[in-house]
Amino acid sequence: MLARTVTHALVGIDPRRVEVEAHLQQGLPSFAIVGLADRACQEAKERVRSGISSAELEWPTKRRITVNLAPAALRKEGSGFDLPIALAVLAASYQVPPEALEGHAAVGELALDGRLRPVPGALVAAEGARRSGLTHLVCAAESGAEVALAGIAPVGVHHLAEAVAYLRGERDPPEPPPPADDFETLAGIPDLADVRGQERARRALEVAAAGGHNLLLAGPPGSGKTMLARRLPGILPLLGDDASLEVTRIHSVSGVLPPGNGLIRVPPFRAPHHSASVAALIGGGGGMPRPGEVSLAHHGILFLDELPEFQRPALEALRQPLEDGYLTVVRVAGRVVFPARFQLVAAMNLCPCGARGDGTAHCACTPERVQRYREKLSRALLDRFDLLLTVPRPRAGDLAGAPGEASAAVRERVLGARRRLREHAPQRTQPADELLTRAVERLPLSGRGRARVARVAATIAALAGADAVEPEQLAEALSYRPPVELSE
Amino acid sequence: MSELATAVFAAQSGAHLLDAPRTARFAAFRRGFDEESYRQDLSRRGVRWVPRGDPAFPAQLRSIHDPPPGLFVRGDATLALLERPSIAVVGARACSAYGASVATTLGRELAAAGVVVVSGLARGIDAAAHRGCLETGSTVAVLGCGIDRDYPRAHATLAVQIAASGLIVSEYAPGVEPAPWRFPARNRLVAGLARATVVVEARERSGALITSDLALDEGREVLAVPGEITSALSKGTNALLRLGATPVTCAGDVLEAIGIEPLPPPDPPALSGPAGRVRAVIADAPAPADELIRRTGLAAGELAAVLAELELLGLVTQADGLYREVMSST
Ligand SMILES: [Zn+2]
Repeated sequence: MLARTVTHALVGIDPRRVEVEAHLQQGLPSFAIVGLADRACQEAKERVRSGISSAELEWPTKRRITVNLAPAALRKEGSGFDLPIALAVLAASYQVPPEALEGHAAVGELALDGRLRPVPGALVAAEGARRSGLTHLVCAAESGAEVALAGIAPVGVHHLAEAVAYLRGERDPPEPPPPADDFETLAGIPDLADVRGQERARRALEVAAAGGHNLLLAGPPGSGKTMLARRLPGILPLLGDDASLEVTRIHSVSGVLPPGNGLIRVPPFRAPHHSASVAALIGGGGGMPRPGEVSLAHHGILFLDELPEFQRPALEALRQPLEDGYLTVVRVAGRVVFPARFQLVAAMNLCPCGARGDGTAHCACTPERVQRYREKLSRALLDRFDLLLTVPRPRAGDLAGAPGEASAAVRERVLGARRRLREHAPQRTQPADELLTRAVERLPLSGRGRARVARVAATIAALAGADAVEPEQLAEALSYRPPVELSE
Repeated sequence: MSELATAVFAAQSGAHLLDAPRTARFAAFRRGFDEESYRQDLSRRGVRWVPRGDPAFPAQLRSIHDPPPGLFVRGDATLALLERPSIAVVGARACSAYGASVATTLGRELAAAGVVVVSGLARGIDAAAHRGCLETGSTVAVLGCGIDRDYPRAHATLAVQIAASGLIVSEYAPGVEPAPWRFPARNRLVAGLARATVVVEARERSGALITSDLALDEGREVLAVPGEITSALSKGTNALLRLGATPVTCAGDVLEAIGIEPLPPPDPPALSGPAGRVRAVIADAPAPADELIRRTGLAAGELAAVLAELELLGLVTQADGLYREVMSST
């Protein structure tokens, strides 16, 4: 007897339909999985066998069981095949009516006791099922909310026995999960009101938010660089429907989606440590490539603290996504394109010991060390930052002031500026244009630098609610260019 | 004439030679040396060769006691640039923001007055002086390595800018790698090409002091920029001042030392309103932006615009987050 279930494998962040065929024949008892299954997939044998027994179902003895995963050429990884394999075996042995599986896809990992565990990428599997014309996805109960986002009915179950009871028509389909609240609360995001003083840095952060500009903050420890950066998501607009689904998909595939949550609406904030490997940063790993931090930061912020401490290859690898908004990862297992359109925010000290820019400390770095430290940042990478700001350590007087303006008020201005930039981007007046030309002659500004200054100036004008870019706005944009010591 | 053969032989044997050696090895080398095709190769690479005996060889440099056999030259200026009144500006590689600001201003104003500033393309004071010159005129960089090398590499772009309007010179043929022992020799060319040497910042026993010693040995004037008495970067310059070097308080002091009438100072830009207020605060003492915001009552964006204007006017400069006044020219 032959029975078939449908599931979806992940290729990058896309679903690929996989048919799971279970073939039961007379013969010496055996259980084989064929069709290029990796080790985790092979371990499925133990979990499926044990799960079926624990569900008080019958493991077909005295049978030769062959499970074929098709297409064979597609590399299959992970434990999400447990459930579809179990269901195919049960259907082939008539413990589940084979016709009951029609219209259903299945995904999930089995524990040895038959409980069902969620697997990464349930959202993508659900999208694949919908595209295959299926109406239901049998999955772990925890994945229900995520699956529902794809516009397909989740059959969320806790145990294999529940799934079987449902397919036999012995019990009603499980309650659909309550529509999940979109993950859009700004509650967990720190507020700018906590930042006292730091007027110049706050302003730069607001400009960066309004224009989606890349920002580099250079200053000694204690100058509040990280504190400022972490407040950026709180002043950005929420994600639109398409962006939100894309981001949620990536987080689902990476298994970092908080269970029970709906779409991610708040721009993600990712802050990988400087010891992160190239693979962790841009994606990859053994086998089928997985999204890296740059993709988890898609439509959000990639924050690199201690920028010069990152390995040079890691920094160089950022250039493709910064340029194109996506990146291509090639592995033996396949070639995968990951979206990676993020806003880059970075922080660095002014010297290796950190004392530079701190009026109360003495820098003991030799000039060679300072030079080497700064030379780690290639000109090409520095060119990617639209706003560069040196933030000295605040003096006592700066910290004594009243609390800063709250994020909500800043966010209103950012939203207004974004609207203006979209609908009617301010153009430079002639005096502003003349100032830009004069600046290009006087300052070390590359061609790219000129375009960047012009874009930042348009953002500043939009923040002011102006129709045109006046010289004052262009001048402000010029003040965020790299200091000479970084621009060599 | 054997100067070119000497220079190329020196490059290939790793020696520092002033004259053709009387050795069998050199004689053999010279017999095999095809000067004509070597010259053609140089000119293909945009390099000129000016032998010591050539009338175009800078007279100032010929008169030192150990002039090189000749100079390799690249850049778009004519050799007449090397005959113009010239000043060497030298100092610490690891200079302070103050030192860099002074060197840039000196470069800018000396170049504007038609004086050629000579320096060594090194980090710190050298680069700041070259950059200042490029704002208003041209400059000459002396390399301590082969003429085809840009050293340090971080200054490759600066070297291109210098060559576009000025000259880059070296006594070393193409292919000679930078080596620490060559830098004192380079310094003698920096001092030798100039009528006077200005030391902006120097630690004790530093390379800049070697340059000023060489200038003194050749009977040239040495000037020094006063610095804070507590800073290690001022130890060398303040010691020079104590020994009788002319103090530099403005570009006019330097021009006077080589007998050039300083240009009448340009009218200081009239600053009123916010720019005037900001400049007044900075004139008291260097200050970070947030302090300027507090003391002037300007919004962060307004202050940023004012600071950029002041920087463009060359009145204010920023380093490590502190804004400071640029030395005035009078
Ligand atoms: Zn330090």
